[in-house]
Amino acid sequence: MSRVLTWRALLTLAALAALPAVPGLPRYYLLLAFDALLFGAIAMSLDLLMGYTGLVSFGHAAFYGLGAYATAILMERGVLSLWACLGFSVLVVGAYALVVSYFATARRGIYFALLTLIFAEVVYTFFRYTQTFGGSDGIQGLPDAELWRGVPIDTPERKYYLVLAYLALAYATCRVVVTSHFGRVLVAIRENEDRARFLGYSVQRYKMAVCLISALLTGLAGAIYPIRSAFATPDLMVWTESGEFIISVMIGGLGTLVGPIIGGVFFTILRDKVSSYVDWYFIVIGVVLIVIVLFMPKGLLGFRRLLGFKQWRATA
Amino acid sequence: MARDGVVLEVAAVSKSFGALAALTDVSLAVREGEVFSVIGPNGAGKSTLFNVVSGLHAPSRGRVSFRGREIGGLAPEAINRLGVAKTFQITNVFPEISVGENVRVAAQSRSADSGRLASLWRRPDVEVRVDELLDAFGLAARRDALAENLSHGEQRYLEICLALATEPSLLLLDEPTAGMTPGETKGATQLIRHVARARGLTLLLIEHDMSVVMGISDRIAVLHFGEKIAEGTPEAIRNDPKVIEAYLGGGED
Repeated sequence: MSRVLTWRALLTLAALAALPAVPGLPRYYLLLAFDALLFGAIAMSLDLLMGYTGLVSFGHAAFYGLGAYATAILMERGVLSLWACLGFSVLVVGAYALVVSYFATARRGIYFALLTLIFAEVVYTFFRYTQTFGGSDGIQGLPDAELWRGVPIDTPERKYYLVLAYLALAYATCRVVVTSHFGRVLVAIRENEDRARFLGYSVQRYKMAVCLISALLTGLAGAIYPIRSAFATPDLMVWTESGEFIISVMIGGLGTLVGPIIGGVFFTILRDKVSSYVDWYFIVIGVVLIVIVLFMPKGLLGFRRLLGFKQWRATA
Repeated sequence: MARDGVVLEVAAVSKSFGALAALTDVSLAVREGEVFSVIGPNGAGKSTLFNVVSGLHAPSRGRVSFRGREIGGLAPEAINRLGVAKTFQITNVFPEISVGENVRVAAQSRSADSGRLASLWRRPDVEVRVDELLDAFGLAARRDALAENLSHGEQRYLEICLALATEPSLLLLDEPTAGMTPGETKGATQLIRHVARARGLTLLLIEHDMSVVMGISDRIAVLHFGEKIAEGTPEAIRNDPKVIEAYLGGGED
């Protein structure tokens, strides 16, 4: 059909939309699904950088956390409109991302990873020690947000459909971007940055632009998180959170968009299941990751191909 | 427009890296439509000259102008957008994408949307130009192969396709036949000449291989230890005693 509206995408969306209708499904699972899809969408946004442009951001947790705080700060002050929260998050995350991406892309190689990490740690430390925003407790006990006046986003079903709408929007955005003129240049930058310059492309501008897109999508994910959880805490932007995003992208398969969604969902569910039995869940996840890196370096999606499935990978 | 149809003018350019003087007071003028070659032994400063013209290095002194416009010190991408494209001595393509995608990304660099917001969602149609280039260099059948899987000779051609796809009016070729067999070199030389004529290109060529240079150049400049020691037609260069001493080192070509 088109670049975005494929039968597969529509069927997947329809199947996900039918999840709340599964008879006897505990409501808790809708909230787990919320977390899983949100995590998957963030991993997909990060894939624009990691898989397509060849940039590894160790600071995505800051975009996520800033988006969450933006919503929480508004809601704490009685602004319950979903749209106001999303708009405010876009402004805050966008302004921060502009600064970070400018400095992080000014130099090449390892500096991008280092600078995104350092900026994110500064943001984390700021919120961790600023009592106006609750310090280490963050902002707790938020009321329900409203889709519009009189329509609160209160039930697990409504929250689930909110994340589903976000995922669909984020996926469509990413698909359009990677299949565009712009997306081709990103891949060229990943493959050979110097050569891209000699073909007339201002590499830093492209890198900044893709950082901004990825940061805004991640910030929007952050913006809807407090609507499900009723809190925003500094823990959302610890650097290990950024590490988990990176792991999800790798589990799913770099440069595939769909792979990182699956990776994020897999990671979230695995963490939830394992951590309900043992405290050292990260050891289990570490083993899984090692197995994946060793035996399926192209991630879960790549593994499908090894098993003889038709190629699903969406090349730019 | 510059004087006498001069496309590229290098005026008294020097370039030093710390205490090392790679180029000293080099001047040359490349005219519209000609094939101008720069030769010289290893370390003569040929590649440095190219890097200065294409924007990798800013000149330490002197001026570089393209069609009357100062380009010395501009970034590579800015110089490319003015119509100067460069191929690399060591093959420099996009290895893990297909040959077709390689040329496509280069070709869309000149589309109207390039560098604008609309490039985020639009996909310019460059297929005609991609097909033309792949056909001209015999790569049409290899369109879907990954660039890294091409043979050396094919990669050399892809290298030229990438540069040409940006629709330059001046093409800088850095040892385009490096690593080719003598047979391949002959074919490649003829092909380059043919494509340049058909497209009305001006060529600035760096070469090691004397047979390539003598066969296709209109004029030749010789660099030695960063200085230009001779300039003229292939015949004049072949008989220039200074060149023979410095470069040919013994009297026969």
